[in-house]
Amino acid sequence: MSQNTDLLTLRSVSKSYGKVPVLHGIDLSIRDGEFLTVLGPSGSGKTTVLRLIGGLEPLSSGEIRLDGHDISRMPINRRPFNTVFQDYALFPHMTVSGNVGYGLSVRHIKRKEIASRVAKALDLVQLGRFADRFPAQLSGGQRQRVALARALICQPRLILLDEPLAALDLELRRQMQEFLKSIQREIKTTFLFVTHDQEEAIGMADRICVMQAGHIRQLGTPHELYYRPNCEFVARFFGENNLVAGKLGTVQGEQRSIETALGRLVCSVSDQPHLKAAPDGAGAFAAFRPEALRLADTRDSDNHFGGTIADLAFAGSSTVATITAGPDSAAQRLRLRMPSRIDGSALKSGEPVSLSFAPHEGHLVLA
Amino acid sequence: MRSAASMQAGERRLSLLVTVLAYAMPVIFVLVPLAIFLVYSFFSVDQGTIVYAPTLGNYIRFFTDPIFLPVFWNTIILCLSVAVICILLAYPTAYFLTTLKGRWRYALLMLLLVPLLMSYVIKIYAIRSILGLNGFLNKALVALGILDQPSTLFVFNMNAILLTLTLLLIPFAILPIFLSLERIPQTLLRASDDLGASGLQTFLRITLPLSLPGVASAASFVFVLAIGDFLTPQMVGGISGFTFGRILYSQFGTAYNWPFGAALSVALAIVVILAILIGERFGRNRGSSV
Repeated sequence: MSQNTDLLTLRSVSKSYGKVPVLHGIDLSIRDGEFLTVLGPSGSGKTTVLRLIGGLEPLSSGEIRLDGHDISRMPINRRPFNTVFQDYALFPHMTVSGNVGYGLSVRHIKRKEIASRVAKALDLVQLGRFADRFPAQLSGGQRQRVALARALICQPRLILLDEPLAALDLELRRQMQEFLKSIQREIKTTFLFVTHDQEEAIGMADRICVMQAGHIRQLGTPHELYYRPNCEFVARFFGENNLVAGKLGTVQGEQRSIETALGRLVCSVSDQPHLKAAPDGAGAFAAFRPEALRLADTRDSDNHFGGTIADLAFAGSSTVATITAGPDSAAQRLRLRMPSRIDGSALKSGEPVSLSFAPHEGHLVLA
Repeated sequence: MRSAASMQAGERRLSLLVTVLAYAMPVIFVLVPLAIFLVYSFFSVDQGTIVYAPTLGNYIRFFTDPIFLPVFWNTIILCLSVAVICILLAYPTAYFLTTLKGRWRYALLMLLLVPLLMSYVIKIYAIRSILGLNGFLNKALVALGILDQPSTLFVFNMNAILLTLTLLLIPFAILPIFLSLERIPQTLLRASDDLGASGLQTFLRITLPLSLPGVASAASFVFVLAIGDFLTPQMVGGISGFTFGRILYSQFGTAYNWPFGAALSVALAIVVILAILIGERFGRNRGSSV
């Protein structure tokens, strides 16, 4: 199955509840067979996107196309999509196999075929032994898998998952992430996964669509979003980041300088033509990840500045230092992440340090 | 400062008192009277005075006398019919209520429950005048040309009791059904749509089964209230509308045969308890939490 054909296209889709707009004309293409995660803080409209696609709510304007055909007004029970609801929405009066077979039995499929497909689906989610249990007799993770089996047995073109892991504890959530991803690879169905948890998004998605306040801010692979965020919101929201405000300077090849409170910094602008084209003096941020920031001994490297360690936090495999840098009038708080050492860090709070990051590990975002 | 210990002791005494009261109330006001009835049902009456010697005579009379058992069965059938008709009328009403939005839903529900605040006797009088020979029902049927002349079919017979009890008890059926329908999470219905079910399929396979507990409690409510009622049959039943409640009432009020009345009460109580148990059995749902 090719990942380059579009399965579903949203064109300037808007949604308002009464007079309150929640989606402002978004455009989005979902590729056939991909695992697309819609990521955003609460109130960003991410769940609304899913509900509109699933047909749980009508759009206010715009259109949704499936294989090029407008399905905006197709009723929910005719859409070839199935949803895994946040609270699972299992039917409490039916057994596990009753729940899983529901989508087939309402289509009047023969009982024999239902039984064999239910058995197959339950094997896929490793719940074969629980076929005759009721939902109330299952754990959270098991209910989750029943909900998944119930959705995928209908062989939908697209499976919509609405924060399905939110109610699970951390360890179970990690297991379910891997499990979902492996099932998606196995059945090769397109998954649209909504979450506010960026760790979840990074771990599972082929592509991530970051939403905020009813707009799509950026759509790209986790790698692109992490290393080439296209706006301040994504840079701050997606992963830990250091942002230092400044004014754009000159372009030199694939790099551009920026004048900041920490002095003149140089960052990469490769593959980001809009940053090359932005006028000199425009407001922008230099952004560099905590793990890109290094303790530098040499004074001749690029992007070099001094600071003071304000705090050290041991976090298992890594240690995070909070650093104050720059002049007192415009002090910047930066984070530096380094691998932990068994004999402890040589650093102490209050100690002055000199810091740097490599230009290709820094990037720019327009303010 | 008074010691905290004595305060604590006081609190403990208070909570003990509350506990004792909580258990004492049902025991004194429910179980003890029931036990007294049970004991009395084994006594007998001789020339107006109660003979305190245990006997099974009352129960033998109940099972062998050709009057009592037929009336007993007929009354049970009557009350089952009332329960069924109430459910058939209340279910669509309650369903309609749950389709309403916010304020309207509760305003209309309150309106439907207002009759519960009115005097029972006045309601029976009102219904009797509607059912009577010159009542609204006959006039309407004649005006519509369904009847040629007013009919006596609706008053002072079993039909009258059936209609009156149904009208009186419908609110008791609407409320539990409404509550059980309202408790069904909307996402279950959306999940059913999402899985491809039609509106009718969703109703028959999700809404209806999940509201059956409410239907069961509604049915047992109505049945129990109907079978215990002697006032309605007395007032609208006439001569032919003879129910078990009326016989029971006459044993206490007219015949002054308390022991036999007590035995009949025990028979009635057994039916009522059975109805409540059955209602309770079906009222509980398998794995009710999602």
